[in-house]
Amino acid sequence: MAFPAKYPQLNETELTGEARSVLIRVIRVAFPHPSFPDGPYERTADTILREAENSTWFRVALTQGLLTLGHLAGGDFRDLNDEDATKVLRRIETTEFFGFIRRTTVLNLYDNEDVWEILGFEGPSFDKGGYVNRGFNDLDWLPEARIESYDGPEQLIEIATNVSVATVRGGESASASERDTSNQPGKRDATMTAVKK
Amino acid sequence: MTNIEHDDAAIIIIGSGAGGGTLAYELTARGLPVVVLEAGSYLRNEDYVNDEWEAFNQMAWLDPRTTSGSWRIARDFPNLPAWIVKAVGGTTTHWSGATPRFKAHEFAARSTYGRIDGANLLDWPITLAELAPFYDKAEVAMGSTHVHGRKPLPANNNYKVFANGAERIGYKFYATGPYATNAEEYDGRPASVQDGFNFQGDKNKSKWSTLVREIPRAEATGLLDLRPECHVVQITHDASGRADAVLYLDKDGNLQRQSAKLVAVAANSIETPRLLLQSASPMFPDGLANSSGQVGRNYMRHTTGSVYARFNDPVRMHRGETMAGVIADESKHDPDRGFAGGYYLETLSLGPAFLASFGDPGAWGQGFTTILEAYANTAGLWIVGEDLPQESNRVTLNTTVSDKNGLPVPNVHFDDHINDIAMRDHGYTQAELLYEAVGSVGAQRTPPYPSTHNMGTSRMSERPEDGVVDKWGRAHDVPNLFISDGSVFTTGAAANPTLTIVALAIRQSEYIADQLKTGGI
Repeated sequence: MAFPAKYPQLNETELTGEARSVLIRVIRVAFPHPSFPDGPYERTADTILREAENSTWFRVALTQGLLTLGHLAGGDFRDLNDEDATKVLRRIETTEFFGFIRRTTVLNLYDNEDVWEILGFEGPSFDKGGYVNRGFNDLDWLPEARIESYDGPEQLIEIATNVSVATVRGGESASASERDTSNQPGKRDATMTAVKK
Repeated sequence: MTNIEHDDAAIIIIGSGAGGGTLAYELTARGLPVVVLEAGSYLRNEDYVNDEWEAFNQMAWLDPRTTSGSWRIARDFPNLPAWIVKAVGGTTTHWSGATPRFKAHEFAARSTYGRIDGANLLDWPITLAELAPFYDKAEVAMGSTHVHGRKPLPANNNYKVFANGAERIGYKFYATGPYATNAEEYDGRPASVQDGFNFQGDKNKSKWSTLVREIPRAEATGLLDLRPECHVVQITHDASGRADAVLYLDKDGNLQRQSAKLVAVAANSIETPRLLLQSASPMFPDGLANSSGQVGRNYMRHTTGSVYARFNDPVRMHRGETMAGVIADESKHDPDRGFAGGYYLETLSLGPAFLASFGDPGAWGQGFTTILEAYANTAGLWIVGEDLPQESNRVTLNTTVSDKNGLPVPNVHFDDHINDIAMRDHGYTQAELLYEAVGSVGAQRTPPYPSTHNMGTSRMSERPEDGVVDKWGRAHDVPNLFISDGSVFTTGAAANPTLTIVALAIRQSEYIADQLKTGGI
């Protein structure tokens, strides 16, 4: 991180309980869901701490990041209100420290039924017979919609009628016998070059 | 199941997905024994789990890959260029099931669109008329809804929003299909129970895959030697330049050699060129079947993007089939829109776990959590359209990174063509208009996911100097080597590729059987 040798804590690779509590606050500020209780945020923080154990690089970045977050906060990061705390995180959003927290949070915070229920996702459904008899089509604020293919008078026009074949970007119609490709210049390439000049 | 001796010169198919699985069934049904080498394990429908990340880790091709280029994938998911499956049945076990056909002019993209700077357009050496009978066979095999007497899928919640929005902005050509998912019992498989888990594998077997149809039927012939967890390392050739064997690592990591009389590669559009490049030899110094220099080039992934729109009322898009709605109105070629080629809009739903990871990669804060907070009131769709082949969009071997077997990993380089960007922007705008017409209060433009449609890296061409294989998928340079997957696509068209891969594989199987009978191979 930014300020190495000045801080003796740099050699500290064990995360303290205080660091865990700062981390929980970081996650809540970065991923604010007023309806989420503390549980999902604590679970996510613990996942991040576990993953940091497996990587020296992340452990070092995370330890030092959490220790020094207070310097940008001008005190204890946990004492900042949401707005000020968000500003601090915006300043460090490109750091490895924050990137590690963000990536791991995105992967884990939303991958648990403790938040699915709050968000309105119902989880595994096959064992309950799917939704075929449990509301797969219960939306009632719009009219019923046609499910069959259109069979009215209009035809799907596959090539717009105002386009003559191969007039896109100045080409001219190529018969099969004078086809060329951009990696195999042929007669038409020469024509195009002449036009450009 | 049969056992073919390693010294017997066999018909070898590499891969068991849409192309390889179909080819295996069609050849065994004609009495021809085949060896199928599948890198993935033999997962069954009952093994699948209704959980996004758990299923991803169970099914996805997670062998390391690298990326380069200006596509966002190289920043957001640098080691996951493609989201495809490593298991028996290949990516048909995870696909959403949409089965539109290509249009006639999409087989003649160069002639129809003209010359476009930076694009390596070429006409296919076949026409829609030639492929049409095989489209029929593929649709019947797969049970595509809306055609051949198959019932349409019912409207789910996500479709109701989608179809009402379509109607209100003047679209006509919308429906709940065609999809290769049973709306009623068909072909011995039940109707969908609308469980909402498609990308996680269909436990109910209502969605077509080679796992539920072609592989078991090929096994029933007694002529299939299916070898899961066998990763092919190289195709070797004899002094005359004919493929004579395949070297592969078995599940214990031992190198094996299977003698070959014919090799068909169907390993999807990243692994197929990787294997051809790994098979370089003094006779084929740039890679097997690569005298054109086109192996690995013209990599296409379709121009995609999603829009997730928020409403004041509940939608519950997760209930029901993940994809069960198609709008074809924009699939036309109309350069007045500012781009060549067309695109479809198709319903799509993700759970909160995937929406968090893919909805707006790299984002955080209030803007990000708004997307998740609105989950229950969100409707979603996917834009899928033709992207232009470019020579520099390319799969190469990255010799500085190795996989667990010590093999060089594939690098996937991709830059959008300006045509791709113009099409995507048009799709985003139309999708937002569609949702606004039914009252959306906000929408998220989601960038392309890791590629699910991978095409073009061993393309078909009339002339050997323009591509890798001929109109039958037979390598121009190696008479007993075939490519049987989406790699052979000369251009990508707007349609989802699986139906066309299956139709081409059925057509190829007739050719191979005929050629073997008449001594043409």
